[in-house]
Amino acid sequence: MRGQRLLVSGMGGELGSLVASLLEAEPWVGSLIGIDVDPPRRRLRRAEFHRIEPSNRERIVDVVSAFDPHVLIHLAVWEPDARAGTALARRFTGEATNESAPADPTSEYGRMLADVERAANAVAARIGVPAGAIRLAPVLGPHVPSPLGRLLRQPVVPFSALADPPFAVIRETDAAHAFVAAAQRRLAEPVNVVAPGAVTGLQAILRGKRIPLPLVGPEWAIARRISHIIGAPVPDHVMEVIHRGRLADGSRVKELLGITPTTSTPEVIDRLFAWESVVRITKTTQAVA
Amino acid sequence: MAQLIQLPHRAVVATANVLGAPLRPLVPPNSVDDWGRDQHLIDLLSPLLGARWSVSVGGIHHLPARVGALLVTNQRRLSYSPLYVAWALSRATGRPVRFVGRPDHAPLGAALRRVGALLDDPTEVRGALHHGELVVLATASAAHPRHAGAVDPTLVGAAVAEGVGVYPVASMSTPFGRAARAEVGAPVRLRKKRRGPLAEIELAEATQRHLQKMLDELGGLQTGMAPLDWLGEG
Repeated sequence: MRGQRLLVSGMGGELGSLVASLLEAEPWVGSLIGIDVDPPRRRLRRAEFHRIEPSNRERIVDVVSAFDPHVLIHLAVWEPDARAGTALARRFTGEATNESAPADPTSEYGRMLADVERAANAVAARIGVPAGAIRLAPVLGPHVPSPLGRLLRQPVVPFSALADPPFAVIRETDAAHAFVAAAQRRLAEPVNVVAPGAVTGLQAILRGKRIPLPLVGPEWAIARRISHIIGAPVPDHVMEVIHRGRLADGSRVKELLGITPTTSTPEVIDRLFAWESVVRITKTTQAVA
Repeated sequence: MAQLIQLPHRAVVATANVLGAPLRPLVPPNSVDDWGRDQHLIDLLSPLLGARWSVSVGGIHHLPARVGALLVTNQRRLSYSPLYVAWALSRATGRPVRFVGRPDHAPLGAALRRVGALLDDPTEVRGALHHGELVVLATASAAHPRHAGAVDPTLVGAAVAEGVGVYPVASMSTPFGRAARAEVGAPVRLRKKRRGPLAEIELAEATQRHLQKMLDELGGLQTGMAPLDWLGEG
C-alpha cells in the first residue's frame, strides 16, 4: 500500500488544498500532484502543483499520463456562485456535460454533479478501476467559498415563510477527511457525507442573530437580485435548499469510509456565524509584522 | 488601497435580537431531527390535535422497544388516520412516530414533514426503518370506516428488505366527534418465508386481512352502556 501515487484535481480550492495537506501526512501516500486553475490556498510541502487552465486539455492529459496515478481524487467541481458564475462553473466543471441528463437533479449544479459522476463511472468501467463518489452536503467552513454560507451571513436573510424546510450541511474538515478515507479505502460506490442533525432556514438565521425576512413567492426574484448586487448571489441549488430543504441519509459513511462527521449541523452553522467578518490588524500587530 | 465598507454589525444584531425575540420560543435551535420532524412544533400543535381527536390507544405492548417497525393502518376518506395514529402512538410510546404520505411540494408537504411525514417513496421508508423508526403507513382509503383498503406492496417491501415487523393498527374516528381509537395488533407473520418480490405482495395481502379482522372485531368508539340499553336492562 505504501508509495501510492495520488492526483488531486482541484487542488487550488479550499477543500482541495485541505485534502492535499491531509494526504501529505498519510504514510501510504508516496507522491502527490495536483492541478487547478488557481494556486493552492495552503502551504503544501510535498505536493507538486500544476497550474493548468481547464481548457488546456492536452496539458492535463500529459500531466496525468506522465504521473500515472494509483488514485485520482476529483475535486475540480465548481459550485455556481461560489467562485464563478453558473456559466463559468459549468465550463470549468466539465464541458462534456450532457444537457439531456436524467431529470433527477433539479438544478444546474445538480446536473453538473450527476454528469461528473456518470462520466467517472463510465471511464472507470472502461479501464477497470473502481470509482467512488462522495456526495457532500453543502460544505461550510472558514474561507470556503459557499453561496449558502455567504447568504446566511448577510445582515438580513430571506427564508421561505411557507416551507422553511430543514437542511443539513458538512464542515470542510469532515469533508476533507472523507476524501482521504475514500482514497485510502478505494471507495467504489457513492456515499453521502452529511453532518448529523438538521436546521431550518429560520433556525439558522436566529442562531446567527440575523434579521429574518419571510418571503412567500414572487418577491424572491427581487430578493435574489438585491442579494446578488450586495455580493451574495443565490444560485438555483441554494434556492432549492431554502425552498425544499436538503437532507440525506449519511449512515453508511462509517461502514464505507470508517469515519463519522465530528461536527453536527447546528454546530457547523454556529461556526459559520462565529467567523470574523473582518480581521483588523492593529498598530501593534503591524509593528510586529 | 481598497475602501472597506463595513456593515453596521451591532445595529443588525440589536435589531435581530428585537425582531427574533418573539420567534425564539417558537423556533428553538435544535428541534428538527434528521428526517425533518420538529418535536417542538408537534408539542405546540398537540392542544389543537387534542381538540380534534381524543385517541384511545391499545396494544402498544406489541410494538418493539427499540428497532423499527412498519405500522399499517386503515383509512376512511378524509379521516387523516395516519396523522392521528402517529401522534397518539408517539405520545403513548414516547418515541417519534412518522407517517407516510406527504406531498413533495410546499406549503403542505413542508408542513407535514415538520410533523413527521415521509415521502410516499420506498427508499425513504426503508431509510427510516433502517434507523429504527416507527413508521405508519395508511392503506388505500375506503368509504366505509370498517373496511381495510389495499396495502401498497412496494412500501411493505421496504420493511421486508430491512427485516422489520409489519404491525396492523386498526383505527376508527368520526367525521365530527373527537373520539378516536388506535389498536395495535400483533406482527403479521407469514407461514412460509419467501425471498423475492412475492414476499412483499403476500405480506401486504396478509396485513390487509389481519387489519380487516381487527376492524371486524373492534368495538365502537364509545365504551360502556348506552342510555337506551340501560333502560332496557331495567
